[in-house]
Amino acid sequence: MTFKEKIESGTFIVCGEIGPPKSCDGDVIREKSKYFKGVVDAVNITDNQTAIVRLSSIASAKILLEVGVEPIMQMTCRDRNRIAIQSDLLGAAALGIHNVLCLTGDYQKFGDQPEAKGVFDLDSVQLIATAAKMNSGLLLSEQEMKKVPDFFIGAAANPFAEPFEMRLIRLHKKVKAGARFIQTQPVFDMDIFTRWMEKVVEMGLHEKCAILAGVMPVKSVKALHHMKKEVPGVKINDEYINRLENASDPKEEGVKIAIEMIQALQKIKGVRGIHIMPVMWESITPVIVKEAGLGAI
Amino acid sequence: MSFEFVTSGKPPISPREKKFSRFLLFFEDVAKVPVFGCQHCGECILSSTAFICSQRCPKRMRNGPCGGTGAGGSCEVYPERKCVWYRIYYRSKMLNRLNLLYKINKIHNWNLEGTSAWLNVFMKRIDAPIWFVRNDKKKVKEMLSDDIQRKN
Ligand code: SF4
Repeated sequence: MTFKEKIESGTFIVCGEIGPPKSCDGDVIREKSKYFKGVVDAVNITDNQTAIVRLSSIASAKILLEVGVEPIMQMTCRDRNRIAIQSDLLGAAALGIHNVLCLTGDYQKFGDQPEAKGVFDLDSVQLIATAAKMNSGLLLSEQEMKKVPDFFIGAAANPFAEPFEMRLIRLHKKVKAGARFIQTQPVFDMDIFTRWMEKVVEMGLHEKCAILAGVMPVKSVKALHHMKKEVPGVKINDEYINRLENASDPKEEGVKIAIEMIQALQKIKGVRGIHIMPVMWESITPVIVKEAGLGAI
Repeated sequence: MSFEFVTSGKPPISPREKKFSRFLLFFEDVAKVPVFGCQHCGECILSSTAFICSQRCPKRMRNGPCGGTGAGGSCEVYPERKCVWYRIYYRSKMLNRLNLLYKINKIHNWNLEGTSAWLNVFMKRIDAPIWFVRNDKKKVKEMLSDDIQRKN
């Protein structure tokens, strides 16, 4: 079953995430894919995340397809104008990559080449609409395509950034534009997330798209502190910081927190799956999936 | 069935019109730049953004804030600034225009960059502004219709 069919059938979804290497070494992805094969339903391939140059997401997604893992290709608006976006989408479809996650992208200032020019020709809502339009057989120029691509369009949502209600409006826009699944930013504050999900259910959006909650296992308390300070738009409950600080083995505690979180998330109405996104710690995903009792496939 | 998302760039703006556009732009600048922080995108969406120009966002977001708005509404790129969409949200709330934020703004037509938005409205190149939310109920409804505006 493909990722799309699984979402449509309503099973609990588990997604992983791979960050491509900063070189042309495709074997890194083949190596990492071993952690995911037969464990998760699909794997996100980041697109030059935090504006640092990496192996392209299309090529990485193709490598994943070759080894039998279903990719979700991330596509950002930072590096491409509408011509490149459509061309890349067509290229992806030709290679058999159908799941795309449409993002606006991190600003180039945060990357390793802050002097770059950001494009931002479209924003994420418009990117979703573009992919949806292509699904209907037309390019943005209204030209008809001979072969119609079949994208399964996803988007991101950040329930933790302010203002709270604007986040719901934005989710509404994304769903209206054609997003069929939503991956949220990592949950580190259950209260806000629960409140957000309540609103989402109230608006009926959980029926129009599958909400996959982000879970980020962390290795050390340092990582949490760093996120709290440096990464904009995240909220971290002090409870987790305290727990990690007092733990004798922070790695183990991090895994424990992630598993508890998954179990709590499963109980929230409207949550259709999870998206596990450890930073540079892919090997932990199978452990968490197994211990949380989520055998996929 | 298709989604109408790009403001049509055709017909190309004629040289004569360009001149007139530049003339109008002078007055538009006087009105819009100091008050709204207009950036001359030529495709004015001020009426749906509570009269704050969204194009001052470093990412030029036309459809709401990116995921990086920090605590207290600071912009992710320039933390010393307020996120424009944060301000737009609170002013929309104050002015009772929140439902306009649900409107999906079209992909920017760069042909219109630096032209007079007033003229573009007049020439029906871009959507007319929605001034009075309550008086324009039908229009607002159209704009917010659940299905994205579709051509035939
Ligand atoms: S935080 Fe707001 S102003 Fe800053 S880049 Fe994001 S949307 Fe634009």
